Amino acid sequence: MDVGLLSQYIMNGLMLGMMYTLVAVGFTLFFGVLDIIKFSHGDVLTVGAFTGLATYIGLRSVGVSSTPLLLLAVLVVAILAMAALGMLIARYLVLPLRSAPALNTLLITLMLGTVLREMVRLFYPQGANPKPFPALLPTDSINLGQFNLRLDNAIMLATGVAIIVGLRLLLNRTKLGLAIRAVAQDEETARTMGINFTAIVLITFAIGSALAAIGGVMNGLYYNEINFGMGLLLGVIGFSAAIIGGLGSIYGAILGGFLFAALQTIGAVALPFASAYKDVFAFTVVIALMAWRPTGLIQEKISERV
Amino acid sequence: MSGSERMPEVKQEPQAPLLPGVVAVALSTAYLIALLAVEKQPLVIGLLAFGIVAVLAAHYMDWLDPVSRSFAEREGMLSAYAILAACVVAAFFHDNHFVLLLFVTVLLYAVATLGLNIEFGYAGVLNFAGASFFGIGAYTSAVLNTYTAVPHLLVLLIGGTLAALIGSLLLLPVLRTRGHYAALVTIAFALLLKTFLEVNDVLGGPQGMQVKGMSILGWSFNDNFEIGKIEMSFYLNYFVISMLLLCGTFVLVRRLERSWIGLNLDAIRLDETAASCFGLDIARWKITAFVLGNFVIGLAGALFGMVGGFVAPNNYTFADSLIMVSILLLGGIGNPWGVVVATFIVVVLPEKLQTIQEYRFLLYALIVIVVLLFRPEGLLPRPVRRYFPGGRA
Amino acid sequence: MSRTVRQLGLFFASALFVGALVATAQAKDKVKVGFIGPLTGGVSVNGIGGRNSAELAVKLRNADAKAKYEYELVVLDDECKPNVAVQAATKMAADKEIIAGATHYCSATAIATVDIYHKFGFPIIVWGAVLPDITYRNKYAEVHRVNGTMIDQNDANAELISKLGFKTVAVIHDTTDYGKGHNAYFSKSLAKLGGKIVGTFGVTADQQDFTAELTQIKALNPEVIYFGGLTPIGVRVRSQMDKLGIKAVFDGTSGIVSDAFIQGLGPLAEGALAFREGASTEKLPGGKFFLEKYAAQKYDNPPEAYGAFSYAAMDLILDSIEKVGPDRKKIIAELANVKDRDSIIGKITFDDHGQNTVALITKYVVQDGKFVEWDDSEYAAGKRKLPGQK
Repeated sequence: MDVGLLSQYIMNGLMLGMMYTLVAVGFTLFFGVLDIIKFSHGDVLTVGAFTGLATYIGLRSVGVSSTPLLLLAVLVVAILAMAALGMLIARYLVLPLRSAPALNTLLITLMLGTVLREMVRLFYPQGANPKPFPALLPTDSINLGQFNLRLDNAIMLATGVAIIVGLRLLLNRTKLGLAIRAVAQDEETARTMGINFTAIVLITFAIGSALAAIGGVMNGLYYNEINFGMGLLLGVIGFSAAIIGGLGSIYGAILGGFLFAALQTIGAVALPFASAYKDVFAFTVVIALMAWRPTGLIQEKISERV
Repeated sequence: MSGSERMPEVKQEPQAPLLPGVVAVALSTAYLIALLAVEKQPLVIGLLAFGIVAVLAAHYMDWLDPVSRSFAEREGMLSAYAILAACVVAAFFHDNHFVLLLFVTVLLYAVATLGLNIEFGYAGVLNFAGASFFGIGAYTSAVLNTYTAVPHLLVLLIGGTLAALIGSLLLLPVLRTRGHYAALVTIAFALLLKTFLEVNDVLGGPQGMQVKGMSILGWSFNDNFEIGKIEMSFYLNYFVISMLLLCGTFVLVRRLERSWIGLNLDAIRLDETAASCFGLDIARWKITAFVLGNFVIGLAGALFGMVGGFVAPNNYTFADSLIMVSILLLGGIGNPWGVVVATFIVVVLPEKLQTIQEYRFLLYALIVIVVLLFRPEGLLPRPVRRYFPGGRA
Repeated sequence: MSRTVRQLGLFFASALFVGALVATAQAKDKVKVGFIGPLTGGVSVNGIGGRNSAELAVKLRNADAKAKYEYELVVLDDECKPNVAVQAATKMAADKEIIAGATHYCSATAIATVDIYHKFGFPIIVWGAVLPDITYRNKYAEVHRVNGTMIDQNDANAELISKLGFKTVAVIHDTTDYGKGHNAYFSKSLAKLGGKIVGTFGVTADQQDFTAELTQIKALNPEVIYFGGLTPIGVRVRSQMDKLGIKAVFDGTSGIVSDAFIQGLGPLAEGALAFREGASTEKLPGGKFFLEKYAAQKYDNPPEAYGAFSYAAMDLILDSIEKVGPDRKKIIAELANVKDRDSIIGKITFDDHGQNTVALITKYVVQDGKFVEWDDSEYAAGKRKLPGQK
C-alpha cells in the first residue's frame, strides 16, 4: 500500500482514537472515584458541543469576528458550563444514590443521558437537524503525495496529547491529584485523613465533564458538524474503550481508546465492503474481549467483601 | 410423632372478598374504553386528569387496600375477569382498526417485557438489548414468511428459539461479568445488531422487509371478516392470538415466580455469593433465565412482525430497549401486573396525547429518574413472597 | 382531607367525565384529508415546506364559498424513516374518517408504505418521492404520484457529465432504496454514454464519518463523485472531501436541492451539480400564483423544491372529493380517470400505474450560494470552471 495512503489511514485512526480517549478517560475517572458508571457522559459531550456552538453564534451576532478569540470563548464557555453540569449531576443524582444498588445508578445515568439528548433535540432551535460547526482552526494543509496533512487535525492531536499529559501531571504531582487518588483507593480512609469527600467527588466530575466538553468541541471542529445523537455512540464507544483498557486506570483508558479506533480503521480497510461493517467488527471484538478478560486488558484489582 | 404424620393444617383465614377486585376491573374497563374512544385533545386531557384524581382519591379513602388484597388472594378469578374485560374492550372497538392495533401492540409489548422481567426482575441478569431480541423474532417471521412455507404458528416458535439461541452467544461474556460490565455487553450487542441489520442487504437493509400476514389453516389474518352482518376489523384475529400469548406468558411467569425455580432465581439476584454457598449453580440459573426470557421476547417479536407487516432496523434500536426497561421499572420490577399496567400507560398515552408524542422519550426518561429517586419499587411494587405450606403462594 | 371534600371532588370528577362523553357524541363532521412528510430530522425543511403548501391548498379551498365541504388537514410526521412512516401510514389509513392523503417526500418511506395504503384501500398522491418502484413495482389503484421519477433525472445527469468531458466517476450512494435506485439508474445511463465508474460505495443514511470511503476514493482519483442521497449526508461528504484534499466535481441529485445544503456548506457548496424533474417553481404555469399565495401566509419556511407538487397533489384530492363526495372507493375510481387535468404544475395525467409524466429536467449548479440553472450559469458560459474541467 502506498505510504501516503497508509499515513492517511493512520492519521484518521489517531484522530478518532484521541476523541474516544477523551471520553474514556472521563469514564475511568468517575469509576475510580465513585465506583459508578456515568452513562450520560457521552450526552454531556453533546451538550458541551452545542453550548460551544451557541456561544459562537451568540458572539458572532454581537459582532465578534476574531477567530482565536471565538475559539477561546467557545472552549472556555463549554468547559465551564459542562463542569457545572457535571457537578450538578454528581450532587443531585449520583451522590444520593450511593447507598442504593449499583443498578439504580446505572439506570438513572442512562435515563439522564436520554434526557440530555432529548432536551437538545427538542429545545435547541431545530435541534433534530445536524448543525454546521464553524471551522475555527486554520484549515491549510500540506500535501505529501497521497497524504493530506491538515493543520487543524495536527493542532487537535497535539492539544489532545497535551491534555492527557496535563491530566497525568495533575493526578500525580499535585495535592488535588493526590486527594483524588486517595478517594479512588479507599473512601473511608481518605475521609479519616481529612479529605473532603464530597468536594473531591464534585471536582472529579467537573474535570471529567470538562474533558467531555473539550471532546465535544473537538468533534465539532473535526467533522464541521454536530448533531444531537452524537453522544450516544461516542459514549458507548468511550465506555467500551475504558473497559477494554481496564476501568480505573488512565493508561487503560488511553490504550482502550486508541485500540478501538484501530479496530474501526482496520475494519474499514480490511473488510471488503468498505466501512459498513466496521462498527459491527469493532463491537464484536469488544464482546469477545469481555468474554476473555471480563475486567479489561489492564486488570482491575477488585476484591469483594462477603 | 413420626415423620410420616402430616403437618396440622394451617388455619386458613377466610379469603378476601372478590367484589373490590371485580369493581376495580369493571371501572378500569369503562375508563379504558372511554380513553380509547375519545379523539379531541381537551377531552383526553380531561379524562386523564379525572383518572389521576380518581386514583389518588381512592388511595386517600383507603379503597385501594381491599382491591390489592383481593387481587393477591383471588387472582385466578380476577384474571378470568380481566380477560373478559379485555374481550369486552375489543368487541366495543370491533371495527376500529387503529384502536385494535394499539391494543394488540400493548399486549405484545407486555409479553416481551414479561420476558425481560424473567431476566431482570427475577434473576437480576441485565439485558439492555430487549428490543434487539424482539427484532430478531420479527425478522425471523419476515424471512420465513417470505421465503418459505413454514406454518405460521411454527414460525412464532422458531422466532423465539432463534432469539434464545442468538442470546446464548452472549452468555459467556454475560456470565463472566457483573454489573456495569454485563450492561456493556448487552448494550454493545444492541448497537451491533442494529448496525448489522442496517448494512446487510440480504435482510432488507435500512429499507426493511415486508412481512406477510399470518394465516392459520387457510384463515388469513389479514382480511376483514364478518360475523352475521357486523363487519370486524382484521386486527381482531391478531387480538385473539395475542391475548392467548399474553395469558400463556402471564401464567408461565406467575408459576415460575412461585415455584422453586423462582425461589432460586430470587436468591441469585439478591446475593450471588450467599446463593452459591447454599449450593445453587449460579451459571445454570442465569442461563435458564436469560434463555427463557429471550425466547419469550422473540416469540412476541415474531407475532408483532406479522401484525405490523413490516420490519426495519430502526424499529429495534437501543432507545427502544431502554423503553422496555422503563416499562419494567415504572410498573414495578418483578410484578407481572405492574408490567401490564405500565405497558398500557407507556404505549397508549403518547398515542392519545398527541401533544406529547414528540416529547415521549424525554418524558419516559424523566419519569424513570423520578421513580428511581423516590419510589424505586415502581407503581405496583412486587409483593413479598408468601409461603403457605400445602397451599398456593 | 375531610370526607365531604373528597366526596365533592369525586362528584365533580364524575361530572367532568360524563360531560366529556356527551361532548364526544356531539362532534361535528368535517371531511378530513391527510398529509405525511418528514417534519423532523435532516430533511425537515422539505417536509415542512410540503406541509405548508398542502395547508395552503386546504385553506384556500375552505375560503372558497363554492366548496361543498369543510376540510381539515391531518398532518403526520414520517421522519424520513421507513419504520416511522409505516406507523404513520397505518395510523392514517386505518382511520376511516380520513378520506385521502398527500404523502411522502422521502423515497425510502414512500416505498415502504405503498402496501399499507393498498391494504386499507386508502387513496394517496405522492408529492416528492422519486423512486420509480413506488408506482411501478405494483399496480395498486390507490397509489398515484404527481412528481416525476428519477430515471429521467439520471439520464440528464449522465448526459451533462459526458458532455463536459468527464470520464471517470466514483459513486457514493445511501443504502436505502432511494440511494440504490439512483445508483442503478445512473450507472446504466453513464455506461450507455461510455463513462466509467471506478468505484461504488454504499453508506448508511445517517453515517457520520466518510473518511474510510473517501480515502479509498482518493486513491482511485476520479474526476467526478456522484452522490445518490439526501442533504444531510451530502453536506458531510462534501465537507470531508475538502478535508482530504479531494478535488473532484460533486455531482448530486434532487436530494440535495435544498437551502439546507448551501447553508450547511457555505462556500464549499460552490460548483456542486444537481438535477430535478420539473421546472423551478417560478417557471411553472401556476408558479407565480402559488408563490404569491404562499408568501401571503407568512410561513417561516420556503416551499422548497417540492412544495408546488404538494400543493398540486392536495388540490387534486380536494377537487376529487368535491366531485364525487368523501368516499374512499369513489375517490380511487375518480383518480383513475385523471387526464390533462389543469394544475399549478401544468397538466396532470395519470398513466395506468398512477404516474404523472413530468418531462422537463432542470439542471442546477451552485453558484455564489444559490442554485442557479445550468444554462443560465457562468459555468455553462465558460466564465467559471468546475474542478478538473478542461
